[in-house]
Amino acid sequence: MSLAAGPPLVAWLLLAAALFCVGVYGVLTRKNLVAILLSVELMANAVNLNLVALGRYQGELLGQAVALFGMALTVAEVGVGLAIVILVHRRRQGIDVDELSGLSG
Amino acid sequence: MTTLSLSLAVLGMPLACFVLLALAWPLRHAGRVAGWLSAGTAVASFAASAALLARVLGGQGPLTWTVPWLVHGGRTIAELGVHVDGISASMLAVVTLVAASVQVYSLGYMASEPKPDQGRYFAWHSLFIVAMGGLVLAPDLLQLFLAWELVGLCSYLLIGFYWTKPSAGRAAVKAFWVTKFADMGLLLGLVVLYGATGAFSFEQAAPDPVTTLVPALLFVGVMGKSAQVPLHIWLPDAMEGPTPVSALLHAATMVAAGVFLVVRAYPLFEAAPALLTFMAWLGAITALVAAVTAVVQDDIKKVLAYSTCSQLGYMVAALGSGSLLGGYFHLTTHAFFKALLFLGAGAAIHAVHSNSIHDMGGLWTKTRASAVLFIAGALALAGFPLFAGFFSKDLALEELAHAGHWGPLGLLLAAAGLTAFYMTRVVAIAFFGPPSEKAAHAHEAPATMLLPMAVLGLLAVGGGLSGGTLAGLWGQPYHFALTPVGIAATLVGLGGIGLGVLRYGTRSWTGDLLPGLRAFILSGPVDRFWLGAWRQGLLPVARAVGWFDRYVIDGLINLVGVAFLDAGRRVRALQTGRAQDYVLAVLLGVVAFVAWGVVGGAG
Repeated sequence: MSLAAGPPLVAWLLLAAALFCVGVYGVLTRKNLVAILLSVELMANAVNLNLVALGRYQGELLGQAVALFGMALTVAEVGVGLAIVILVHRRRQGIDVDELSGLSG
Repeated sequence: MTTLSLSLAVLGMPLACFVLLALAWPLRHAGRVAGWLSAGTAVASFAASAALLARVLGGQGPLTWTVPWLVHGGRTIAELGVHVDGISASMLAVVTLVAASVQVYSLGYMASEPKPDQGRYFAWHSLFIVAMGGLVLAPDLLQLFLAWELVGLCSYLLIGFYWTKPSAGRAAVKAFWVTKFADMGLLLGLVVLYGATGAFSFEQAAPDPVTTLVPALLFVGVMGKSAQVPLHIWLPDAMEGPTPVSALLHAATMVAAGVFLVVRAYPLFEAAPALLTFMAWLGAITALVAAVTAVVQDDIKKVLAYSTCSQLGYMVAALGSGSLLGGYFHLTTHAFFKALLFLGAGAAIHAVHSNSIHDMGGLWTKTRASAVLFIAGALALAGFPLFAGFFSKDLALEELAHAGHWGPLGLLLAAAGLTAFYMTRVVAIAFFGPPSEKAAHAHEAPATMLLPMAVLGLLAVGGGLSGGTLAGLWGQPYHFALTPVGIAATLVGLGGIGLGVLRYGTRSWTGDLLPGLRAFILSGPVDRFWLGAWRQGLLPVARAVGWFDRYVIDGLINLVGVAFLDAGRRVRALQTGRAQDYVLAVLLGVVAFVAWGVVGGAG
């Protein structure tokens, strides 16, 4: 189709990989539960970006459709995740993950 | 009735009686009713086995009937059933006759016991008849072993009948332990036999490497049950039981089970000539040692108990010489006259309420009938010419001479003289000795006691004539002939009686042949030997094994446990409880897998 109209596929994939790595770094380093949740979202969107870019490269709409499904699922996931964060905050008066070490051996 | 249903009836009637008495406690606690029921079934059992014997005498061939018992993977490992032939039919008749006599006798003897105790006594007696019948009719060694243990249990229960007496309890436990110790040999023998031949057959001798081992192990069990030196120590203590029990179990039938086992499984023993020679010697030594011990006993039942050991020695020696008939014939006559002697002793004990022969002095004038019967039994035991013991002992000795076992023959001849001597001593002191205070108010036993004694008395006098019949059952020739050995045995026996009369009757000679011997025997050397072996031999070994088990075996197992606990404690540190650490681990894992895939894909 009109692939020549935009940047090449590899640029999109590199951007997605960079986004994913930023998300992973956030999940591993942030102490705030909400920030971690945000980082997870970054990772999910990196995946969506991959789907859209590859779909476009293949010249079909399946990639966009799956990305839309993925966004809907991510919304649900964030809803559950935020609910957990609120409950944790109510119980422990804080959302610092270092405080949540009840599974320590 | 068919032969099969007759043989099943012999076992079934006492079994029904036992089950009834065991379950219906009001009946058992009724005492006398239970006794009459038990004695009635015993008599009926005898009638059935007499009919069975008549059939076999009439030419009925051997019959074997079995039902599968242990079936594994479609293969029948063991069977239960009955095997009727000349040996089992005649033995069964002997067992049930003595059992019926003893049961009827017990009706009188046990009459003064508390009623529930009487019921208990007769229930166990019925169980014993079932067990002994099952032993005699066993079609293979495994059922024989089963019944063997069952009679051992009855023996334990009946020896400990007066369980409130500590000595009776100890005697019961002792009998149980000693025979169980010996039965380990029997059990091992069965295991080895089954491993070698794949069956528990009486007929099939074990193949080469274990030809001697199997019968030797079986014989260890025989030594325990049939009270051979040095495993005879339980039998004198077993006299703590009621006297009719001693007559039935510990004189006539149960202790003869060992001899019966050898007779039954003779093809196995025949294949081991060295063992047969050992049996001849051991039997002769037992006969002599027990006879010497019997001379110094003052308790009438102890005299008879050692005498039983001694006579069982004759049977084992005869079997060792290769003469089945010699051993078995003596078993039969011994069952009659020794049961009679015990019942006679019971009548005397019943009259004077003491076991000591010195307390019985002068009973001849008080209890004439039972005294006459006791003396008949004593003459039969002493081998007085034409009494039952004369023929059977003569046959046993002749067979030993025939086999060339001169050493055992000499010991047995000496034992024959001692037998006559100690029986004369008992008769002279108990019935003709100086009148004692306790015997002054003695009165004759009731008819229920005298009648069975009379039946056994007839057999003790005339039972020797059954030799030809028994031999006929086995298809063996038997002709009584007075040989030099027989004459020697008779003369030794008469000499023993004469010496006994001189020493204890007329008291014209009061010397002591071996002054030190009496004290030595009364100190119980064999018992002390076993006690020493236990203390010096078994206990240290047991302690060492216990130490090894506690500290080495258990130690190893505990070490494994401790090692795992410690490893767990160390690995715990990995679990920080922080979610981000786990995510990092997952990430590293994924990276590792991807790297592996890339490198592996490249390779």
